[in-house]
Amino acid sequence: MSIEVRNLIKKFDEKTVINDISFKVNDGEILAIVGFSGSGKSTVLKLICGLIPYDNGEIITSEGDIAMVFQYSALFDSLDVEDNISFALHERKDLRKKYTEKQIKEIVAEKLQLVGLKGIERKFPSELSGGMQKRVSFARAIVTNPNTILYDEPTAGLDPMSSTLIEDYIVSLKHEINAASIVVTHQMSTITRTADRVIMLYDGKIVFEGTPQELLKQETPYTKQFVTASLEGPMQMQA
Amino acid sequence: MITLQKYLKQSATYKFFTQFWVLFEDFVDTVGKITQVGLHVFKCILKGEIKLNELFIQCDRFGISSLPITLSIVGMTSIIVASQVALEMVKQGGSHFVGLLMTMLIVREVGAIMSGFALISMIGSSLASELATMRVTEQVDAIDVLGVDSISYLFVPRVLSGILMMPLVVVIASVFGVILGAITSDIFAGLTYRAYFDSAWLGLYMKDLGVCLLKAATFGGTIALISCSCGYFASGGAKGVGLATNKAVVWSFIAIVIIDMIFAMLFFF
Repeated sequence: MSIEVRNLIKKFDEKTVINDISFKVNDGEILAIVGFSGSGKSTVLKLICGLIPYDNGEIITSEGDIAMVFQYSALFDSLDVEDNISFALHERKDLRKKYTEKQIKEIVAEKLQLVGLKGIERKFPSELSGGMQKRVSFARAIVTNPNTILYDEPTAGLDPMSSTLIEDYIVSLKHEINAASIVVTHQMSTITRTADRVIMLYDGKIVFEGTPQELLKQETPYTKQFVTASLEGPMQMQA
Repeated sequence: MITLQKYLKQSATYKFFTQFWVLFEDFVDTVGKITQVGLHVFKCILKGEIKLNELFIQCDRFGISSLPITLSIVGMTSIIVASQVALEMVKQGGSHFVGLLMTMLIVREVGAIMSGFALISMIGSSLASELATMRVTEQVDAIDVLGVDSISYLFVPRVLSGILMMPLVVVIASVFGVILGAITSDIFAGLTYRAYFDSAWLGLYMKDLGVCLLKAATFGGTIALISCSCGYFASGGAKGVGLATNKAVVWSFIAIVIIDMIFAMLFFF
């Protein structure tokens, strides 16, 4: 077991955004969290990695780091690619003195190669395309060899080919580092190409849990509405 | 039929107090956050968690880059004051007090407070917008997720550079202001440099210099801390960045005027 979420509740003011949800993700498994905008998907990721505190419930993770790939990459724009990737190695108290500068350069080159990039160490994020920025943020996330990786809409805003490339990297990273991964996404291609299991959130609750194939079968009103992107159904978009 | 509750809610008095309460809540919330972050920053400084290369970059930004605008503002204020004071004092037979008055004024007040205003508009606003942009683009979240203390990483070099560089800026600006005062007095009132500088030293004590430096360091730390905090706790998109910058400037202005008042009461009453 790598992540277990038990009866998680999160409220913003009086509004319950996450309402008593529970799920597990094992090592080497990819769980996709889907749902319409505002259903609380990204909040779940932020709760797991400790960016926001939860009101009730439990999040149990195994020993090791949790990494997160942000929706818009969140690269540090004042640092070049090498400094972005090596940021944790330079700044984290427990890692600061663990590696020499030469070793850090080697780690950066290795991680860049893992995401299919080479020779861009001295470039700044503003000089990279959206897809490249996303891949650099992958490299930055895996630099500490985390055992949990959280992806917040990893293919949002990318063209179909870049999306496919990113989806392939998510799957290859799963094999490379055997991490437990959670992918928050809207895109059907990302769900079908990367996920082992899917949960669907609506109004802060889990309304479907199963495999991508079960999702595509549209056997419940929720899955039917989501897959067909229909406005008719049990899920109401907020005006 | 309009109920009493509805009627009260529509009244101007109710709206005024609601608005006031929101402002008061925001004030208490901001003071709490700044205090909390400030304590954390000083704990980090005392522990020696200082990145020297980042500190040098921020010192260059706080001290060297801001010097032209600071010198201009303190210099022009000195010219304005000297042109008003020198002519009148020479007419009244007080020419031997012009240098003393100008030096006392610049060292005790004008140098520090005008440099503070210049640094708020130039550095404070840029610190707030920089950190607010990092916040809304999730860069601050990325720092935290990578296991790095974002407050220590972002605040320590900036606050420390404010504390270290502001006294230097104030000393340079004050010397510049005193010299411009002498030139202005000569041009407007025909006061010789010798007469000006002979009296300039009479009203100046070591205590004045000490208080000036301490005040400058306090201003520098306060401007950096408030500006960084306003940026760090920003939310929303472009509007959030604008609001954070605006808040940083307003709060810093108010804070340094209050600190100046406290210094005046503590040391010169």
